[in-house]
Amino acid sequence: MSPINRRTALGIAGAAITAAAGIGIPFVSGLTGARSTGKLLPSRTPIPPAFRRRLTIPPVLRPSRSDTTTDYYDITQTVARAGILPGPATELWTYNGSFPGPTIRSTRGRTVKVRYTNNLPVPTVVHLHGGRTPPDSDGYPIDYVYPTDMSYYALHHNPQQMTSDHGRMTMTGGDTREGRRTHVFPLDQRAATLWYHDHRMDFTGPSVWRGLAGFHLHHDAEEASLRLPDGDLDLPLMITDRSLDSDGSLLYPSLDPTLVNRPGVRGDHVAGVLGDVMLVNGTPWPVMTARRGTYRLRFLNACNARRLSLRLDPPPPNGIAQIGTDAGLLAEPVRHDHLELAPAQRLDVLIDFSGYAPGTRITLVNDFDTTAMGQVMRFVVDDGRPEPFKIPSRLSTTPPLRPEDAVVTRKFDFRAGDVDDHDGWLVSHAPFSPDTIAARVRLGTTEIWQLNADFHHPVHLHLSPFQVIARGSEGPGPYDAGWKDTIDLRPGEQAKILIHFDGYPGKYVFHCHNLEHEDMAMMANFIAT
Amino acid sequence: MTTTGNTSSPASGTATRLRRRWPIWLFRITITAAAILAFNQAVFAGQFLSGTYPALRLHRDMANYTVAAIAASIITAILWRRAGAGPRWPLPAAVALFALTALQTFLGYRLVLAVHIPLGVTVILLLVALTAAAWRPTR
Repeated sequence: MSPINRRTALGIAGAAITAAAGIGIPFVSGLTGARSTGKLLPSRTPIPPAFRRRLTIPPVLRPSRSDTTTDYYDITQTVARAGILPGPATELWTYNGSFPGPTIRSTRGRTVKVRYTNNLPVPTVVHLHGGRTPPDSDGYPIDYVYPTDMSYYALHHNPQQMTSDHGRMTMTGGDTREGRRTHVFPLDQRAATLWYHDHRMDFTGPSVWRGLAGFHLHHDAEEASLRLPDGDLDLPLMITDRSLDSDGSLLYPSLDPTLVNRPGVRGDHVAGVLGDVMLVNGTPWPVMTARRGTYRLRFLNACNARRLSLRLDPPPPNGIAQIGTDAGLLAEPVRHDHLELAPAQRLDVLIDFSGYAPGTRITLVNDFDTTAMGQVMRFVVDDGRPEPFKIPSRLSTTPPLRPEDAVVTRKFDFRAGDVDDHDGWLVSHAPFSPDTIAARVRLGTTEIWQLNADFHHPVHLHLSPFQVIARGSEGPGPYDAGWKDTIDLRPGEQAKILIHFDGYPGKYVFHCHNLEHEDMAMMANFIAT
Repeated sequence: MTTTGNTSSPASGTATRLRRRWPIWLFRITITAAAILAFNQAVFAGQFLSGTYPALRLHRDMANYTVAAIAASIITAILWRRAGAGPRWPLPAAVALFALTALQTFLGYRLVLAVHIPLGVTVILLLVALTAAAWRPTR
């Protein structure tokens, strides 16, 4: 071989090694993909130990008064301090001083009126998630309730800083009030695990992160006839991930920590903010003593961006029976060995703890993470006598919608894109604006919406629940049964949903419930007439 | 054209028929880099389609570097031809690939995926073919 050929041969070998390394290293390092679209925000304090503190159940709110048709409630949004860490207290934004906020229990046929008073430093908006609510009470993102004390807002609010089109929108329009606002919830809808939370345009993520979320459990006669576990056997479990600063305060990567002017988060957190402390009902990795009976566990994923894959370890001998989801009971129980939940989704399950031996320690694990976030909470079975319960074989009459009844098929793309020259999120190439209408729908009609996603996008529709009819070329997934108000779209996935529009005329939003995506403009309007 | 002695010592050749060795190495380096960068675009696309958000940013940034590597290959193709008495094909091939990758980047930003993905496969195939041709032993 000539010297030139040898040199060329060495060059080819070198090029091959370079190519193998240059392609192989990025290939292998990203091989696992991601279970949640988001970036971890590490706490700046040692994370609290798991399974030391007891689970608490949010207090049930009593009406301030009731009349023949309506129950009246008062909720004050207020700063409160809570002991999340063993060390310093954590300042939270709360409904009535607790995180989660107080639980409202309502019954179909009775109207609920809630008067919200805003004693927080910034404007707020309350949305009842899953509620069939008239538009003026639905918490439209610019229907602000300004603070009772405007001093902080006046001090920090800087109109000059609102340079972007998207940002300028935050300070205009909407049905604004000062100090307080009364929401009317007719709740003419099926029994369901609903929740209420802040929905202020551009700042929903940090507001919910700071604690503005609570349960609203709605009941009806059909559900009552099933005699499902109730009292302390009916457990609402709000799962949230949070990160904490060294002084005990909640950490969040806001561009504007005053949460008054510039929306958005730093760097790749625009993908979503993932915390490294798992809270259930506001307590990190709590432990609960379980009776040897059948519990109704109402799981709510109230994380900003984190998806969950929940499993009991050891598994319950009689399995997990899902009985309900976002918008109410399923037609019949569905058996699972684990439960996947995207942000804002709810799964109602029955779990029979009488099959476990007394003293068994059962960990609720999250298989979508391998760190401490791979655990959620623990149950310890008490030594009481087994309490038998028979799971009903039929739960609810939920007539399936028929695709052939759809009057129109619409297509929406949920993808990354530029918003005011920053990384953001778009619905069909457009950032949210209160003035842009993406769909005009007629109440009483059924539509097919095809939703396409680039990353994980839990897409939520206000006003009207829907049924999932397809994912890609397949049918609905294992957690798509029943009536949903939020669908877990995965990267590159397209899904078809059937929506029966029903309720009240007006302007509503639909949006991604990864709250960082929502704040970064992945939201659009529909008008129902 | 089977002389070999002149290449080991560039000063010994004549100005017109001189076969300097360094231009071909420059072309090989730039076109190989372009091929690796282009193939990694498929890797990063696969990763962000698996939900890894930073891979989207990489996919976007690496598009610029891929176009830059092909632009550099246009220059090295000229050098190979002029200073290294190389073949004719590298220059039109590099110019055509530059146009294709510029179009490919544009289609990516515009999310015209029905064209972006097959065109991406085509660009990778062409770059691999061009790289293989560049590494063929020259006499």
